[in-house]
Amino acid sequence: MDPGDGDEALLARVAAGDPAAIRSLVARKLPRLLALAGRMLGESAEAEDVAQETFVRAWKQAGNWKPGGARFDTWLHRVALNLCYDRLRRRREVAMDHPPDRADDGPGPDRGLQARDVGRRVAAAMAALPDRQREAVSLCHYQEVSNIEAAALMGVSVEALESLLSRGRRALRAALADMVEP
Amino acid sequence: MTPERFETLAEAHGGDVARWPAAEREAAAALMIAQPILAQGVLARAATLDVALDAWAPMAVTHELRERVIAAAPAARRRNRMAAWFWGAGLSAGLAAACAAGLAVGVRLYDVSQPDDAVSAALAGYDDFSAVVTGEDA
Repeated sequence: MDPGDGDEALLARVAAGDPAAIRSLVARKLPRLLALAGRMLGESAEAEDVAQETFVRAWKQAGNWKPGGARFDTWLHRVALNLCYDRLRRRREVAMDHPPDRADDGPGPDRGLQARDVGRRVAAAMAALPDRQREAVSLCHYQEVSNIEAAALMGVSVEALESLLSRGRRALRAALADMVEP
Repeated sequence: MTPERFETLAEAHGGDVARWPAAEREAAAALMIAQPILAQGVLARAATLDVALDAWAPMAVTHELRERVIAAAPAARRRNRMAAWFWGAGLSAGLAAACAAGLAVGVRLYDVSQPDDAVSAALAGYDDFSAVVTGEDA
């Protein structure tokens, strides 16, 4: 099922203050938005802030939503991504003043490939990607957004998206080579 | 579709052809039939990265976050406004009651502070006595 199916009907009920519709929309969208923010920003309070702020804007928008226009799911993703980029920009400004110690995300001698470590390795590899590549991988792999929709969200052509995806996945493969290469 | 294009798509979109661009899936399926060994090899390699990426579980939604989000929703805001109105009304009523009570107590205290006739008379007498003691003319 498309994650955007039925959103407009729910939104109309949300605008009317229907508590069941509000809970339903939150159950449907909050995990997706938090996942996206977590992929873009790393697992942090910032990711929760982005998800919450996205909903604040969605609640304001609910009464004004025009059926038949942009998909609500796409609009939510756009809002969340903009908020993520605001925070990434702020991080860069802080980092220029106070460069962080470089995290060791490689496979150390005592760092096995246990299941709980793999996720952390992937998170570190994703965090090391350039923002646009991370955005492309987040949207297409994790959020399962179509290439056309992801390209529209990112404001690039489908070909440019494909290039970002290829470069991102190549970098991830290199970073995780000990896990993914035979 | 050429094998090179097939590899490019796998590199970009992973080892699950169902997640490739819709416009390319049919041609990809044709290549998988025409060159199954090559296609399987390409997809299997891409899938190893997919599996690794999927090991990074998404952040879990906490109860607190869910409730914060719901609390900001339109219905919740209305309820909050209503609660604020009731609170305000209650405060107003409380203040009014306090004022009324204060007024009543004040009146009572005023009553108490007003000497009755006997006390007035005694005080008048005291005034006279004070005048005698101090030698003043009554």
